[in-house]
Amino acid sequence: MISRDIFAASLALVALSCWIGALGAWRMHKPVQALHYLALPTGAGAIFLVVAVVLETGWGATAAKMIAISAILIVTNAVGAHAAARAFRVRKLDHWQPREEDGVEFIPQRPKA
Amino acid sequence: MNLWLAASYAVGLCLVPCADLCLRGPVERRLVGLELAGILVTILLVLLTLGFHRLPFIDLALTLAIMLLGASLVFVRFLEKHL
Repeated sequence: MISRDIFAASLALVALSCWIGALGAWRMHKPVQALHYLALPTGAGAIFLVVAVVLETGWGATAAKMIAISAILIVTNAVGAHAAARAFRVRKLDHWQPREEDGVEFIPQRPKA
Repeated sequence: MNLWLAASYAVGLCLVPCADLCLRGPVERRLVGLELAGILVTILLVLLTLGFHRLPFIDLALTLAIMLLGASLVFVRFLEKHL
């Protein structure tokens, strides 16, 4: 009975994290801000989905594939979000090195031509 | 209707804001919408697989999750250099 409640709560949290991620990305004005909301469905959503799948099917091939899907989503989202943010900056500035007005502690010196 | 299908309806409706992200606004925003749609469709495929009791079809979600990174990196590369 308790596992059935946890199963239902996990599925509800999957839907909730997807909705918060989608609405957050939709409402943000800057694309880099919107990128942060991708972490909710990939992180929380995928993990709660693993819990629901394990409770429904037990430890088997389906659960193993779901764990693989979750791990792939978590890792590739981090890589993809970083690549997208870098592309946004390069598109805007023609480079992605920090500028003095960015407020970072270390700014590498560019070689003089 | 079981809980899996109810959750899949809820997640499927999240594609509406994604469609708006993809179809309107600057190109950077559209790319974010595309990446979000890929993640949501992967989760949706898992939910539909279990909702319809067709467990072998979870391979579709696994394949989509693997291919998402390559697809998004191609678009990111084009956005950075060519678009």
